[in-house]
Amino acid sequence: MMENLVLHIPNKIEALHSLHRSLSELGRAWKLNKDVQMNTELVLEEIVSNIIFYAFEDEEEHIIEISIERVDNEMIIRITDDGKPFDITAAESLHDASKPAEEREMGGLGVYFVKTLMDKIAYLRVDGRNILTLYKNIKHKA
Amino acid sequence: MKIDETKSGDVVVIEISGRLDTTNYQELETKLAGILDRKETNILLDIRKLEYVSSSGLRILLMYLKKIKALQGRLMLCSMSPEIREIFEISGFINIFEVYEDRAKALEA
Repeated sequence: MMENLVLHIPNKIEALHSLHRSLSELGRAWKLNKDVQMNTELVLEEIVSNIIFYAFEDEEEHIIEISIERVDNEMIIRITDDGKPFDITAAESLHDASKPAEEREMGGLGVYFVKTLMDKIAYLRVDGRNILTLYKNIKHKA
Repeated sequence: MKIDETKSGDVVVIEISGRLDTTNYQELETKLAGILDRKETNILLDIRKLEYVSSSGLRILLMYLKKIKALQGRLMLCSMSPEIREIFEISGFINIFEVYEDRAKALEA
């Protein structure tokens, strides 16, 4: 049984394909419920694409590290990058799920998903790196 | 992702299969833009085979819902899987789109 996963992906949007493949494999190995699987993918795609699009001001290749481990019934995901500081826990979600279509903002949906779909999120800035940790209960519902 | 287009009466039916995410949402945008360019504003998205949608995909749907509403048209959705429905519910998108159980019901509406 796969107990944890560590991925190093470059800051290229195509890298999302390998992230998806690895998460599918992990989902099968851990027998994750379909909704947990999709929610985890959604949140990771959001965070990683944000890093790829906004974290780096140079043209160099940067490596984003993603580690996923399971402790009892909790999945713990840690995303580390050496981009500019960004604390998603302090970012405002502009998304308002109760507004009619005409009044909706395009932005903020990703931040809203991260905050809504995970049970807990924690941010640290250590030695020039952003370290974001996400916690999700993966106990199968009866 | 695969996008297939058919026509039923005055409704353009778009069937989306696979994954709609940050890497390919522009394909759907191009498809929808092309339909509006032809002055067709009644669109049904059949998402029975949609396996995954990220916030980039949802943003395109919202953008086109706004455009189509402004043109007095309709952007409908049908045949959502329970997992996709959950994403629509959490985001509140379920309340702003016309969502039908299946293609026949959407075309009757």
